Amino acid sequence: MNKRSSSENFRRILGRVTQYDFVGRGEELNRIMAHAEPANTGRGLLLLMEPSAGVSELLRQAYDQIFNQRSDVIPIYFAFTRHETTAVSAAIEFLNTFLQQYIAHRRDEPVVSHSTLTLHDLVELAPPADLEWIQQLVDSYARLRFSNDDKALVRFCLGAPQRVPRSRGRLMIMLDGAQLAEYLNGVVILGTEVLRVFGRGGFTFVLAGLRRQILSAAHEAKCNFELLDILRLQQLDVEQAALLVDHVARRQHVAISEAARDLLVQQFAGNPFFISIFLQAAREKNASLTSYLDCQRLYVDELLGGHLHRHFAELLEEIAPRIDTRHLLIRVLWEAVAGEDQISTFEIWRKRLHVTAGELQEILHRLHVQEFINWDQGIIEAGVGPQPWKDYLKVRYRLDVLNDPRALVVADALADSLKRAPHTMARHYKQIASGGLRELINRFNCQRVPSVLLDYATFSRKYKGAESDTIAAGLEAEPDLLKLPQTVHLASCVALDSDMRQLSDEDRCLVAHTFEDGAYSDAQEVIWLTADIESKLEVDVDVARVWCDRFDTLAANLGFSRYQIWLLSNEGFSEEAGRLLGRRKAFSSSRHQLALIAERLGESVSDPVVQSTEANEFLMVVPMGEDNELIAASTAEQIARRLMFRPEAINQIKTAVVEACINASEHSFSPDRKIYQRFRLESDRLVVTISSRGIVPANLNGASSGLETSEAAEERRGWGLKLIRTLMDEVEFERVDDGTSLRMTKYLRQSSS
Amino acid sequence: MDKPSGRLVRSHCVGTTAVVYASDYLNKLTGEKIERECRRQLDSGCRGLVIDFSDTQLVNSIGISILLGIIDVAEKSGARVAFSEVNHQTIELFEMLGLTRHVLLAKDEREALLNLSNYEATHIVH
Repeated sequence: MNKRSSSENFRRILGRVTQYDFVGRGEELNRIMAHAEPANTGRGLLLLMEPSAGVSELLRQAYDQIFNQRSDVIPIYFAFTRHETTAVSAAIEFLNTFLQQYIAHRRDEPVVSHSTLTLHDLVELAPPADLEWIQQLVDSYARLRFSNDDKALVRFCLGAPQRVPRSRGRLMIMLDGAQLAEYLNGVVILGTEVLRVFGRGGFTFVLAGLRRQILSAAHEAKCNFELLDILRLQQLDVEQAALLVDHVARRQHVAISEAARDLLVQQFAGNPFFISIFLQAAREKNASLTSYLDCQRLYVDELLGGHLHRHFAELLEEIAPRIDTRHLLIRVLWEAVAGEDQISTFEIWRKRLHVTAGELQEILHRLHVQEFINWDQGIIEAGVGPQPWKDYLKVRYRLDVLNDPRALVVADALADSLKRAPHTMARHYKQIASGGLRELINRFNCQRVPSVLLDYATFSRKYKGAESDTIAAGLEAEPDLLKLPQTVHLASCVALDSDMRQLSDEDRCLVAHTFEDGAYSDAQEVIWLTADIESKLEVDVDVARVWCDRFDTLAANLGFSRYQIWLLSNEGFSEEAGRLLGRRKAFSSSRHQLALIAERLGESVSDPVVQSTEANEFLMVVPMGEDNELIAASTAEQIARRLMFRPEAINQIKTAVVEACINASEHSFSPDRKIYQRFRLESDRLVVTISSRGIVPANLNGASSGLETSEAAEERRGWGLKLIRTLMDEVEFERVDDGTSLRMTKYLRQSSS
Repeated sequence: MDKPSGRLVRSHCVGTTAVVYASDYLNKLTGEKIERECRRQLDSGCRGLVIDFSDTQLVNSIGISILLGIIDVAEKSGARVAFSEVNHQTIELFEMLGLTRHVLLAKDEREALLNLSNYEATHIVH
């Protein structure tokens, strides 16, 4: 039974979306449900979330599931909101919510959970078995309410669940938005008080809040950590975030393309809150999101006046309530994002913001909790935070500090975000491509592999062009084995030396701290310096030398006494490069060798998969590789025959299709590893369009690819395109947001038909 | 005498000339197999290479670039390369990419062997 059908009898109570549409947090929901089991009675679960990681719906879904189970577990869900301005009012609201939901569950009447009811109404609705303790609770509350002892009143309200007789069931109290509790005015810090009461109350609870805040609140409240479990709530991974976009877009009736969806996932870094409010804005504005331009237009609207703007504006207002301080703060924060003064001191900030030390502490604490800065003792690191926050700071800085014309700010923001979009996607695709390498190195743990797998020249000589079973047998018989070290730490080169960014993407150049034989001594410590060089052909000697030199310099600068260079490239290295690498004692591997190493370490280099739909023409989608271009060529042949092309022309079309497919496969870092083909028959021509998603190759947009390819490589790489242009009558690259789309036309001529 | 090497590449030797048979689709994979076999034959002392395309229906640019590599290697070994039974379509492609300047083209294997032996004789005389 699938999720949709199983939810037919499910009553949605607090959940804002159906079970079917609740995506991305399945594991976390299971963990919360498990927390409600008898074994966890009396335990607390701290849900530590990244800012805006979206916890409310998770807890609401948990509430609905527990309610629908009709077990002895009584769910209570309470969200602290910005509407409650004091600890007392929040505590009273909690008492009311608690009684309402308790009675709803006892009566099995979900509607009671979200009705507007007074305490008097609740007493009247109380089941007879509960009437006595509820009446007593309400009476005590009435007495305390007017006693002028706010602290006692807060504790009384929060402690109300303790009044429930044990025989009635087990309470599962879920508190949402606990980060807000700290800011409520009053005699107590509500967040700490909540933990004090609940940590010692003996019932099961979940407290969700910002990760930087909730742990310190637990320490403040002197909680018994043996009775606390921790669940970390991070942003969604790419797959789940894409699924969320699909679901929300469908629910909000927003048309969205795959390319736009993937851009949103990257731009919002899988943040479910940003994704949801953005798609909500699209619905409100009746905007479709079928291109990068659609997305970025709406994005800029949102930054300047929509949901995103309101979200950040409210946060900034809480952080710096005074407008003059806020403007100064925007300036300081934006200048850090722009690359100036990212690391600074408390005193410098105090002077720049013109505030007292106490005021600054409050501001820094709130910025730190929201992860807009990293504040450690006297050092403040700014310039961090999600991309939308940085973009928001920029537009506010230009509008509020520089007083730039709004129209100009809008135009610049739109142009900037459009220019950034392809780079954002390219970075993502390269991360996918290099993800396997990172995982592979992390798995190094003293395994033995044939040395030839780290020596391209020898591998090429022995095995290039050999059958896979021949290679397998050969590797089995290889006498020379290399014992891999044990990897203990892996980082991007860029993290250790920002200059490396000029040479490589972050995830394609790695520094692994390893120990030979897993023995932790100076003598056994070896640093592996690994680079995955982007090249369609064998890497030449110049490129190999640059990398070796750069790694030597890096090792010297960082004081690595023993290091091992390992260079990788899709197609390996030229003979000359191989000789150089041999002299420099550097390891070298092609993608094929890497896959063979992965195979030996029990890991495969994975390829993600997505779908595509189109209509009204001959359409075909084939996976890249496996000679699948022949399938495309064969289809082209069949279609061309219908138009009565002559055999020579048909062959030309077939060859062009094959070349276009190879180009699409070779050039794209494709996320879905698919080639999309469209064949359009017209009376006098056949139009074939071959598309793929991924990175636009540098040689198609005129940009130089620098180190990555030599002149000869460029020339040979261009052969496919040269052939296509010769064989077909018209060849044109269509403009697409993501990847490439090559349109080729062959005319039907009297002489050739 | 037939001397199979690898599952897909057929080859045999006639004197000091090796005849290597290309498959129906010449791409990276099959090109590398041919390259491997040609290198093996050259290492064994062959002074001439005939690559027979009688089965070849389709070639792609990567396959052609590998053929160029084979020609380079052969030249460095002092060997000459001939292509036999190349279909009209493929010849067009070879011409477009300048391959035909570096090889002898023959209508069949016999003619290719003859051309190579003539070339060798001429070469020695001069």
